[in-house]
This record gives sequence, C-alpha cells and structure tokens, in this order.
Amino acid sequence: MAEIVGALGVPHTPFYPSLVEREPQCETAKLFAAVTDALAAMQPDLIVMFDTDHLNTFFFDNLPIFAVGVADRFKGPNDEPRSVPIYTIKSRADLAGHIRGLAVEAGFDVAMTQQFTVDHSVVVPLHFMTPKMQIPVIPFFISGHLAPLPSAQRCFDVGLAVKKALQSWSEPLRVVVIGSGSFSLEVFGPRIAPGKSDGVPDPAWAKRVCALIEQGDIHRLIAEATPHQLQRAGNVGGELLDWIAMLGAIGGGPAKFVKPQLEQGHAYAAWNGG
Amino acid sequence: MSVYAVNYLCREVLRDHAFRAAMKADPASAIARYDLSEDERQALLAGDVAKLYRMGVNAFLMGYLPRFEVCGLTLPLYNERIRSAA
Repeated sequence: MAEIVGALGVPHTPFYPSLVEREPQCETAKLFAAVTDALAAMQPDLIVMFDTDHLNTFFFDNLPIFAVGVADRFKGPNDEPRSVPIYTIKSRADLAGHIRGLAVEAGFDVAMTQQFTVDHSVVVPLHFMTPKMQIPVIPFFISGHLAPLPSAQRCFDVGLAVKKALQSWSEPLRVVVIGSGSFSLEVFGPRIAPGKSDGVPDPAWAKRVCALIEQGDIHRLIAEATPHQLQRAGNVGGELLDWIAMLGAIGGGPAKFVKPQLEQGHAYAAWNGG
Repeated sequence: MSVYAVNYLCREVLRDHAFRAAMKADPASAIARYDLSEDERQALLAGDVAKLYRMGVNAFLMGYLPRFEVCGLTLPLYNERIRSAA
C-alpha cells in the first residue's frame, strides 16, 4: 500500500524565490530550509499537494470545487513569478486516477484535468524543497479563493478520502502530503497594505490558526474556519482549506513543528505519519 | 455579463506577450476586439481599478495590469486606487 509518511504545510508567496535569491540568509530562506530538511527526512516517493489555483490552471469558463491533475507530467509556473524557471514536474496519472476514482466513490465529485499547467502556488514550494523535481507530484486542487467555498469539514473529509485511496493502492510508496497556502492574506484587493501588493487583513486569525494547529485541535479549527471567517482573512484566506485537507490526510495529530511567520499571515509546519 | 471579458483580457496580459505589448502601445485598439460595455471600456482605459473591482472584476487578474504597467497603471497608483474600493 501507499502510506502517508508525513505532511507539510507551506506558503507559496510568489516573490519569495527572488527574495531568497537576493537575501540567502533571510528568515524565509531559513524557514523553507526547515521544511526542506523535514521533507528529505521523510524520504518520499511521491507528493500529493493540496493547492488552490489563482485562475491560472482553471478559469471562469470552468471552475471545479475539487479537481485532480491526472497526468504523467505537467509544467509550471504559468504565471511568471520572478527567479523561478519553468519546470517539468513528474506525476503519476495511474495513481492520480485511482485517487479520483475512490474519492468519487466516497461521495466527492472530483473533477479532473489531463492537460494542464500550474501556477506559483504549486511550483514555489517545490522550487525551494525539490528543485531537481525528482519526486513525482499529484496536484489536488481545492477552490479556496472564490465563493462559494467548500466547507472546512468537507475539505478535511476529502483529505481523509485521499488517505484511504492511497492505502488501497497496491504498490508500496512513501507519500508526503502538502498543504500550500496562507491563513490571512489579501492579494491585489482593497485590503492590501499601503505601498504593497498584498496585506494581512486579519493577523489575529493567522495567530489563532497557528495556535490551533500547534495544539492539534483540528476540530476547533474546522468549526472556526467558516466561509465568513475565511473571507474576512483576505481574498486568499480560503487557502487554509488546503492545510485542512492535508490535516485530513495525515490524521491531524500533533505537529512535529509549526513555525509561524505571522507578519506574512502564514506558517511552515511538519507532521510525522503514523 | 461582460465582466467575464474584462477578467479574460486581464489574464491575457499575463499569457499573451504580443497582447501585453499591444496593451502597452495602444490599449484602446488592443481591447477593441473584446465585447465590453462602454462603462467597462472606459474604466479599463482609465485604469480605474476601484470601479472595475466594484463591477466584479477579480483582484488577482487586475493585478497583472500594474505588474506589467498597462492602462497607465503602476504598483503605487494601483495600490492607492484599489484601496479606495475598501
């Protein structure tokens, strides 16, 4: 069986690669180094990444709530973040199709795409953590930006369905699940900070999310992550749903570490499987 | 609803480099082929992102306008205008 051996939560801020290139000793560089070390220690054969696309993979012509990328490779980023080359990322169409099949069987109407590119939200974390792109990645897309959002409970449950699908896969594989996104952030919307292209509209919420994750109180987190609260947290506040799906897949136990970067509205975290 | 067309053409500024160049050189001609309302057309050419936001245009997509400096927008100008829509 494919077994989830660990989980990570990471941000995907598009200007981080250029920031780290300019300032290799900055806090962001150190925080990404910590999750990179954690990932290496997990010795993964495969990554499943829960991600919210920014209207680059999908668009208003076709906007699934949940979707899986079913392909043997895909490219990205498709939105030109600075200092990030266009990578070809290996994937596993067979296992991605299996995950989708079992998720649908479990009651989640998961869409699929077989030919797609991904944006910074998938590639920026990989750029830091697996720059050789040696580990196949299956992207699981959650619509976390545009109302109506799926509920936090449903995202947790779909994560659990992904875990069960992996467990029923006959090949032995070590899988790491990743949740990609912020807790409180506004991007190019009215609540950005003066002089910047983003802002953190609800820092208290970001702090609260970090505390609940650290305590492992995922049921409280799910209860508090209402659509209203996610919207209040900024126009990408719903990216917390990617973390919640990741927590559903790992089982939501105590984290190995949670490293908040609260002035940016997000954190870096790792869990061991078991 | 032609908000769809505004969203679409904002994304084309990212994706289609020839369109990006055309938007820098002569935005009125570049957007002529899109099915926009007169209000949308005027707001876009004026770089009135607060108005476009209120009309329902997506903020991430509008972000490509100052990023590539089209429709007279720079990041500081965009910042000032979009914040007025709060």
